[in-house]
Amino acid sequence: MRKIKASKIGNNHYQVDMRGWVCPYPKYAVESLVKKLGDGYRMDLLVDCPSATDDVPKVARAMGCEVPEVTQIGNGEWRVVIEK
Amino acid sequence: MDSKFDSPQDVTSSVGVMPAGQNRWKQVYGQVVNVFYISVWKKAWPLWIGAVALAFANILMFVYARAIGVFPQMAMWGSYIYNLFGIKVDAPFIAYPLTPLHLDMHSLLNFGIIFGVAIAALISQEFKIRTEDWRGYTAALAGGILMGFGTVIMPPCNVGGFYSATMALSLSGPLSVLGLLPGAYVGGLFLKHQAKKSADTVDFGAAPAGKPAEEAKTSFQPLIGAAIGMLLVAIALIYVSQGMSKFAGLLLFGALFGVIFQRSRLCFASAFREIFVSRNGEVMKWILLSIAIGTIGFTILKSQGYQQTAVVLPVGLHTVIGGFIFGIGMSIAGGCGVGILWRSAEGYVRAWIALIAGILTAGSWVLVYGKHVGEGWLYGKPVFLPNVFGWFGAVSLVFLFLAVFYALITWVEVGKNEKN
Repeated sequence: MRKIKASKIGNNHYQVDMRGWVCPYPKYAVESLVKKLGDGYRMDLLVDCPSATDDVPKVARAMGCEVPEVTQIGNGEWRVVIEK
Repeated sequence: MDSKFDSPQDVTSSVGVMPAGQNRWKQVYGQVVNVFYISVWKKAWPLWIGAVALAFANILMFVYARAIGVFPQMAMWGSYIYNLFGIKVDAPFIAYPLTPLHLDMHSLLNFGIIFGVAIAALISQEFKIRTEDWRGYTAALAGGILMGFGTVIMPPCNVGGFYSATMALSLSGPLSVLGLLPGAYVGGLFLKHQAKKSADTVDFGAAPAGKPAEEAKTSFQPLIGAAIGMLLVAIALIYVSQGMSKFAGLLLFGALFGVIFQRSRLCFASAFREIFVSRNGEVMKWILLSIAIGTIGFTILKSQGYQQTAVVLPVGLHTVIGGFIFGIGMSIAGGCGVGILWRSAEGYVRAWIALIAGILTAGSWVLVYGKHVGEGWLYGKPVFLPNVFGWFGAVSLVFLFLAVFYALITWVEVGKNEKN
């Protein structure tokens, strides 16, 4: 099974790297990831498929999360910030 | 012409209040950039704009030469490759005979889509060579093979066989949904299962310390995109200079479709897949509107005697079985026929593998089956709805189909809300 890389980048702040995962994988994975995230925690999800910048925030918001930021960080790469 | 990775924003807002005259050019620049760069190339287009633009582009291209559809010519590419290696095999679609690719008008449409997507992806700084591991490539191979078989059995692909065929008043168009929809669902469940399994292994408590991802400061992709745009125009002019203006026209139409698909992200594979997997039919609903617009245009043209048999395809049990196989394939490959062309031009290695697997599978069909698509025991006869129901009846039937499909999608979506 393919692993998803997660790292701790600050207090109550994680980064999950899903670059290299084509759509719709990030959209399908974010549901499980948000469930694992503690209340008050923040997750930066890194994606490199354009549709995920729209799909992922929709799923996260439907689960009651805030998505304060979707930022392009490089050619074809984005950071989607999810706060639970 | 390098540009920063700023988030989409209103450039004019940064100009602020300035003395009259002095900063007029700056304001003009700001507004022009806002309309022609930010809105077009930095923000994704709303789905409805993509859907409406696609319908009108398809009507216009039909007036010019043909409707959109990409797999029959790609199947010919597969047969052409076999012949290059000494394996004699005819191209599976009779209307798309073996032809050097640069002399095949239909192939120019596909090349145009690749050009258009590449230009749009580069200008919007969204191009990236996206690699995966062997699991992704295996899925791409399997998806490509399934799409290759699906396209010759159905025939042809999702966009040609469902989208264009329905507006062309072919019975096969609406019927293909009975195969494509469950097929895309099965493929989508497979993807969802893979994603969930991988996500379940993430343990935030045990996550190692790491650094936030670095942000690139500038990109030269818009410059490369503009250069490829000029190359596209140069190639079109070469065709015109050789008296092959129709080839140039289809190349440019293809580029227009490429830009529409890339900027609006109007993905047909996700439209079918998401209806049942995520109980979200938003994309398909817009595609149905697009078909409705196209149906009016195609009916006006065909009722005047224009290309009446165009995109009227064989119909039978094979439409449903082929659609089912194609549906699974497009889900796990990450795109339908147009989708893998599109993702190939965005740098997805998965799409390159699916494309090669798809064309080599479809291109071998005459060796496998012994006859061309549409011939022999497997295929039914093409049914042009106006021949059976008259023009009014045919159009009413297509709109009834669109309404029923829309209602089904809404029913599925409402079911999700009730469950929640």
